[in-house]
Amino acid sequence: MARTGFCDSKPLLDLHKKVDERRAPLRMWANACGPLDRWQPVEVDESRVAPVKKEPERRWERRLSIQTSEGIIMGFHEDSQTCLAADGCVEGPVLLYPHGLQGLHSLQALVPSLLRREVEIALEKLNLIWDRTYAWDMFLDMMRTQTWHSFPNADLPRHFTDATRAVLVDWLIQVHEIMHFQDETLYLAIHLLNRSLRQIKVTTANLQLLGMVCLFLAAKKEECLLPEVSGLCYLMDHTYTRHQLLRMERKVLCGLKFDLSYTPPLHFLLLLASIARCSAKVVWMARYLLELSLLEGQCVVFQPVQLAGAALCLSRQVLQEPPTPEGEAAWCLASSIHVGSETALLRIMQILASAAAKAHGRETCATFIKFSSPETMHVSRHLGLKNASALLGV
Amino acid sequence: MAHVTSIQYEPVAEIGGGAYGTVYKARDTESGKFVALKSVRVPTDQNGLPVSTVREVALLRRLEQFDHPNVVRLMDVCATQRSNQETKVTLVFEHVDQDLKTYLERTPAPGLSPDCIKDLMRQLLCGLAFLHSNRVMHRDLKPENILVTSQGQVKLADFGLARIYSCHMALTPVVVTLWYRPPEVLLQSTYATPVDIWSTGCIFAEMFRRKPLFCGESEVDQLGKIFEVIGLPPEEEWPTDVTLSRKNFSPLMPRPITDFVAEINEQGAELLLKMLTFDPLKRISALNALEHSYFQDEETLTQTKS
Repeated sequence: MARTGFCDSKPLLDLHKKVDERRAPLRMWANACGPLDRWQPVEVDESRVAPVKKEPERRWERRLSIQTSEGIIMGFHEDSQTCLAADGCVEGPVLLYPHGLQGLHSLQALVPSLLRREVEIALEKLNLIWDRTYAWDMFLDMMRTQTWHSFPNADLPRHFTDATRAVLVDWLIQVHEIMHFQDETLYLAIHLLNRSLRQIKVTTANLQLLGMVCLFLAAKKEECLLPEVSGLCYLMDHTYTRHQLLRMERKVLCGLKFDLSYTPPLHFLLLLASIARCSAKVVWMARYLLELSLLEGQCVVFQPVQLAGAALCLSRQVLQEPPTPEGEAAWCLASSIHVGSETALLRIMQILASAAAKAHGRETCATFIKFSSPETMHVSRHLGLKNASALLGV
Repeated sequence: MAHVTSIQYEPVAEIGGGAYGTVYKARDTESGKFVALKSVRVPTDQNGLPVSTVREVALLRRLEQFDHPNVVRLMDVCATQRSNQETKVTLVFEHVDQDLKTYLERTPAPGLSPDCIKDLMRQLLCGLAFLHSNRVMHRDLKPENILVTSQGQVKLADFGLARIYSCHMALTPVVVTLWYRPPEVLLQSTYATPVDIWSTGCIFAEMFRRKPLFCGESEVDQLGKIFEVIGLPPEEEWPTDVTLSRKNFSPLMPRPITDFVAEINEQGAELLLKMLTFDPLKRISALNALEHSYFQDEETLTQTKS
């Protein structure tokens, strides 16, 4: 049986509560294009954000993060240990192997601080933080809050099927691309849609409107430039009026009680990939697989970090890049973040592998097309995806 | 959703015509508990609810998930359309009967004990530190919006509302008390989280005095009252981005704070002065205030006692 490479271990402890709203959004390829004519700048009062004095110390948070960080770092998995030892990569990067420290025991003792440092560097590199002092706290917060963002089951209200949902998500992916929104906006929009479908009564006739409103609200939360509502109505072929769209906006906001917070799986993917020193191609492949998960209704039961971990594992297995000692060591370190149970990860990998194998022939192929471009290194057309399921021993 | 709100929450009484609109005490017909309903009317254009409102309320919701003991609970939020140009956002908060103002008024002479003041201050600063570490500033901290439960638990209310209300405020000539405003706000300079520390300092003094520390009648009068206590700041500390010149104020030397707050102990006086520092960048932060010897003192005392 195939292994995910991520290790089974003790469950995530209840990490201490802390908010992060301060992160600057990641710059995405989708965001690289200039604004369109119909866009208007968002006027947000920045007065609170601008001159806020940074607290030099946050005692209660710091104390608690020391207590709780244990939970997300696991003991090395057997495989990881052997890979460290067998590869004989003792002369790897200084960061991983400080001089004079040999043997697994001392290495294991080092993992928490190495990992912490790597997480801090990665978050900074990804532009997710402004100040490295808060990086670890923020990471713990991401790990804790993301556990709220999965659903107990994949059930939809009776009159909707997974196929209907997939068609809607596929259409939203296209609208998202036309709008040149950031990738975070897409993940948030689909999360809001998943929640709305379960909390708000909507008729099939209004499903498209609901989807568009979720994308609009996600944009209000994440984007600097917003499209005009009239433009959105145009994209829906004027099936709905502006008035209907705004009424749906209020309905969704009330239904979700204005709770728009979300930790997108993409952030975990980029974080893990950065720690694991993954190649650009592995990252693009993993991003493709992760975006495919949006179309799969059954994926809503998994946590963002699990989806990200599984997408990255599958990507590595599909691409089969020749291993290097540094790469393997970095992967081992990334694997020491407790992502999820082996069973959960394999289940996701199977779903994604089967989705990727069928992607080109499906009606819902916006993601396939998007990731077949030269900018994304043509990952969706990679031949290895055709029999990805076989790689997993299914 | 309007009717849903009015069905679930049955208004009991008007509990305040605050600066931002009427506040109602209501009964939650589901739980039987009392809630405070605060409505904000936000102008809506053809693009729906303003981005700032969406983000601010979403932030309050997110803070709510942390369940901080010194912050009032936000139980529900609802948006209803009033007209094409206006949407009413109703925030449903837990209702606490007593605020610090009435708490102080009800306290018989000779006032609160030093230990009680210390406990209230610690809770107040804990709540503020939580808000500040989440980049939320209160901006309008005063005894009226610091709630004190019957068990003596302090809960901050009305934080973050200033920003949600701000568009509404621009249209309404509101009378807001100046007494807890820091110099940088009175001078209309840039400001950030230190504003709340200044207000906390004023409230700290008021707990001892049982009357406000600076009772100005206008911005300039308020500044004058402040300088009578802390002295006129040196020229180099005067903000450069303000119209009001330092020359408008007579040169005054700082006076001992104990002249105004008689019962305060030495550490308390030192902390108070760090809060009532003219330069917002030199003013103590909420977290550092919690580490001040004024608080540690009591900890060691109780430790030795037990």
